Amino acid sequence: MNLQRKIQQLLKPLSQPLLAVLIGLFTGALAIALIGESVIDTYKVMWDGAFGNFYFLTATLARATPIILVGLGLAIAFRAGVFNMGAEGQMVLGAVCAALASLYVPGSGFVKLLSAFLAGFLAGGLWSLLAGWMEVKYKVQLLISTLLLNYVAVLFAGYLVAEPFQDKSGSAALAQTPMIDQAVWLPKLFTGMSVHMGFVIAVIGAVVLYVALQFTSSGYEVRMLGKNPFFAEYGGINKSKVLLFSMFFSGGISGLAGTVEVLGSQYRYVEGALTVPGYAWTGLMAALLANSNPLGTAAAAILLAALQTGAMGMERNTEVPLEIASVIQGVLILFVTAKFTLNWWKVKKKASDINGAV
Amino acid sequence: MELFDYSFFASAIRMVSPILLAALGGALCARVGIFNVGLEGLILAGAFSAIVGNYYSGNVIVAVLTGAFGAVLVSLLFGLATIKFKANPIVAGIAINFLVLGLTTFGLRAIFQVKGAFYDKDMNGLPKWDLPFIENIPMIGRFLSGHSPLVYTAFIAAILLYIFLFKTVLGFRILAVGKNEAAARSLGLKVTTLQYGAIIASGVLCGLAGAQLSLGQVTMFTEGMTAGRGFIALVAMMLGQSHPIGMIGSSLLFGLMDAMSIRLQGFSMPTQFTAMLPYVITIIAMFFLKDRGVDSQASGQQSSR
Repeated sequence: MNLQRKIQQLLKPLSQPLLAVLIGLFTGALAIALIGESVIDTYKVMWDGAFGNFYFLTATLARATPIILVGLGLAIAFRAGVFNMGAEGQMVLGAVCAALASLYVPGSGFVKLLSAFLAGFLAGGLWSLLAGWMEVKYKVQLLISTLLLNYVAVLFAGYLVAEPFQDKSGSAALAQTPMIDQAVWLPKLFTGMSVHMGFVIAVIGAVVLYVALQFTSSGYEVRMLGKNPFFAEYGGINKSKVLLFSMFFSGGISGLAGTVEVLGSQYRYVEGALTVPGYAWTGLMAALLANSNPLGTAAAAILLAALQTGAMGMERNTEVPLEIASVIQGVLILFVTAKFTLNWWKVKKKASDINGAV
Repeated sequence: MELFDYSFFASAIRMVSPILLAALGGALCARVGIFNVGLEGLILAGAFSAIVGNYYSGNVIVAVLTGAFGAVLVSLLFGLATIKFKANPIVAGIAINFLVLGLTTFGLRAIFQVKGAFYDKDMNGLPKWDLPFIENIPMIGRFLSGHSPLVYTAFIAAILLYIFLFKTVLGFRILAVGKNEAAARSLGLKVTTLQYGAIIASGVLCGLAGAQLSLGQVTMFTEGMTAGRGFIALVAMMLGQSHPIGMIGSSLLFGLMDAMSIRLQGFSMPTQFTAMLPYVITIIAMFFLKDRGVDSQASGQQSSR
């Protein structure tokens, strides 16, 4: 009886995302059929492109790495009930600061590595904290300010690598930093495969965050603020403090996403290497898909990364264009939101019950 | 090379029009309590369907109409998700952006069998209209005149929207819905109908913005050709406080900055900083504007407030 209830409890939050995934795949099937390709074969090629052999599997996991970290960062903010849309800027600033730290901090490889992580985390965290501070102190809407700060951060990082810190060694003047010292590189998990230590960091991060949100008092405060800000305040939680705290960690973890991407796969900051693949937006979708559960976010991130690498494989081998992945993702998120708000609506209703009116 | 000359102002005005049109659409949604983050997707849908219409009909008017129609279809999907299924508008808007980006690129491959961009020399772009009298005004006449009809439409639409919102009964009803949905409903206003109406109208406006993008300067469609204009329109809407006249001002600011950052490339100055300027100005402006009216509740964000 107890076990049955537990299983039900575990499955219930999964049902809606799974339904959304099915609708997404169905829409994808419609689109594939529309251009006259075999649906089953195309999806088979897609699956092979994502998980078909060990090489593709590791490529999927490598792509998932920054997405997981961004998703985790956003999950903290969403749990606290704030719509942090600034993951892209936080990630890019983290990446560029990590690259600069590992280039210019003197010392051994380990010191450089440590300072790169610290710089990446702090850069993302402080950038995000700026938006949180503007919201708490001056009531500047966080949703908009984070969106605006994205542009500022991406342009500023672009300036840094196009002017003062540009790699002048190559013949072509690309907007990128010089390559970082090999001692700072994050080791690959398997020789010749693209997945690196960052993936392990991301997975550990997901577990730690799950435990922290679920079993610590700060995690409880964050969740309480998101679930019911009125009750949280009534219960003696300092709203501003918890909001700033969650924004700092949210941005910091997004900064780490950029950091591991620099240290583990690019080995330098290349302009556009993080923004063009849309890691930040995919991370946002992963967090939404999993309703901000850290473990679920990691799983959703791997799923979305698989969708993208699978689509690349599909484009190599069939006539179906890559963008079917965006179509599937879009539909998926469109349908997952219905649930998102259903929960939200319940929260609002509870809040109104307590306060009388909203 | 001079910094400010006629072509500078002319290009600024040209760049204003898609932003202003989309911002007006976003403002209409905001005024009925729906924060529309999907403007980017709506513009892109408009740009693509306008090219499709142009290719098959060869008629510019039909092309603009199909552009508007395509964007309206997408906006209805957005409306269905947010109004009927009560989805979070922000999340649904982001989903719409991704969906349209995928669909248009997919359509480019499925309809035209090309990748990246579609161009056909037989397609007609929007004509350039010279305004009688105005073109003869010394100094300003030369850059106010000689634009595509949609550029003029953008400014006329802003003025019409101002009159509609603040001088007509229906406009007041729309404002009432945005101010307090529950109260508007209790007065017997057809809130859902008004919301759908606003969303369809915003689809039309964004479709026109897209048509101006794909048919205005060069007649072609490129993947993701909106390049963040939808978000800039969103920001222009915030900066203009969803007020049509305010939005003319904020869109002009963005258009000038846009033209300036292109112009400054010729002066070997880091363009990143000029490109940054509109966003920094908007952030600073938000300290002073804070939340007056619609935007605070319309975003649906569960904020610390």
